[in-house]
Amino acid sequence: MERAFSTFARQRSDHPFSRERQPYFLNALRAYSCLALCFLICSCGGPPPASRETVPGESSEFPSNYVVVFIIHGDAGYQFHDTEGNAYRADEEALAAAQRVAEQNSEAEVFIFHEKHRRHFLFLFPRHDGKFYYYRNGRLLARESYWRDHGQSRFDPELGLYNRFHREEEHEPMKFFLYFGHEIPEIDGKGYDASYRSRSFTINDLAYGLERLTCDSSAFDLVVLSTCFNGTPHTVSALAPYTRYIVASPSNLHLSYFDLRPFEALDIGLSDGDVYAFAEDFARQSFDRLIEDIQTEIAISVYDVDRVRKFLYSVNSVYDHALSTLKENASTLIEYCDCAEDSAYVRPAMSEGIDVLFRPARFGRSAHKQNHSGWECPKLPK
Amino acid sequence: MLKRTAVHITVMMLVMAFAGIAHGQDKLQSYLSDAACKVKATADPVQKRAILSNSIENMEKALNKVQGSPLVSKDDKASIDRFKVFLNDKRDELEGVNGYEPVPDAKLNAFANYVVQDMEQASQTITISTVTLLLIIIILILLV
Repeated sequence: MERAFSTFARQRSDHPFSRERQPYFLNALRAYSCLALCFLICSCGGPPPASRETVPGESSEFPSNYVVVFIIHGDAGYQFHDTEGNAYRADEEALAAAQRVAEQNSEAEVFIFHEKHRRHFLFLFPRHDGKFYYYRNGRLLARESYWRDHGQSRFDPELGLYNRFHREEEHEPMKFFLYFGHEIPEIDGKGYDASYRSRSFTINDLAYGLERLTCDSSAFDLVVLSTCFNGTPHTVSALAPYTRYIVASPSNLHLSYFDLRPFEALDIGLSDGDVYAFAEDFARQSFDRLIEDIQTEIAISVYDVDRVRKFLYSVNSVYDHALSTLKENASTLIEYCDCAEDSAYVRPAMSEGIDVLFRPARFGRSAHKQNHSGWECPKLPK
Repeated sequence: MLKRTAVHITVMMLVMAFAGIAHGQDKLQSYLSDAACKVKATADPVQKRAILSNSIENMEKALNKVQGSPLVSKDDKASIDRFKVFLNDKRDELEGVNGYEPVPDAKLNAFANYVVQDMEQASQTITISTVTLLLIIIILILLV
């Protein structure tokens, strides 16, 4: 009987809510509650910001010789580490670099759109998920928060802000468009935004955005895609009507992105008006910075849109066929290869109008690859 | 002991999920980045290899455990499979099997950086849901 009682007593004391255990569980509950409160405060960070902020400073009457539009996508996983193990947010780094460009150019009109992850105040009230900065002559003249999901097409909110602030000049300024983010898909495109999983974003949406940005003026002089795998015939073809030159990577591009320092002194870099030379210099500087620390493959291409058209036409049908086949097999993960490695894409005009900077990965199966055509293509299903 | 661990894990998951720690992928990257830092802090190549090998092995173990869970969706299972192929490839190269030359001792630091950078670049193609990522992280924490 005594033994049975002691067993019962032991069982009781083992029960998580037994009297002996209560202090432990109460302490644990308190600790977790505090932890949850801390996380809550950190994740909320305060009430929703004002949608518009007045920035001190007046617009000057100096004409703008340059118009620069940045779109920085930050609504996905953008963390990366340097070789010391320090963690960075790629979109925050790109934003800081874009702001330096805006502040350093006294003859430029600069639009910066930062597309952020949608957060909620007290888990209930959505906060603005877009931030806009407008600079003219090196000075910040407007800073606004906006909603990214307002409007029919992808860039409606951005276009609205651009049209509201853009000042027409008597002479046509040089125009640049820079996009920072993950690879812009050529098909499907759902899930690109972590906050809007069902929303689609493809290269055609970007092309439509560029079309509307240039509807009342000339095409962009240079489009920079600081993304992975957008150095493809389809992407260049889609953007070709809206720009003269394109800089993009036909392979993976590390999240530390392209080096924006050449953009900090546009009047010096473009003193002779040679945009292609500027694009080449920009690509070279980015390449040189990336090879310092990056062990994965680095490939950067500069496309002269007029001169690559011959190759684009010649490869168009086979490329579209590959895309539609992959679209039918939606479950298949699209794999890419250097177009020169697949005979279906090889054409005599492949290397016309393109400058390629390439260094193979230091490790992995492609470590011995000697060169890159500068074009990336989807692998055709066997 | 088991009950206490179970209660801890449950509460930890609830706290993390409710507090909006949706950056599971960041945590996985940080795990490999921490391993790379340990590799660089060690002079002995044998230890360097052991750190890299153990880190990859622990991650594979966590992935296997989570993949067997009924909570994991079919899409997540496919993503985990891709992630396992990625890790397996890195281990093959480290050990010099399946057509790879073994990574030389002098290049182990660079190889550790390569693993981190390659994973960060692959993150967009290896898409795993937040819940599954949380499970992987919790198992990784318990394994370490």
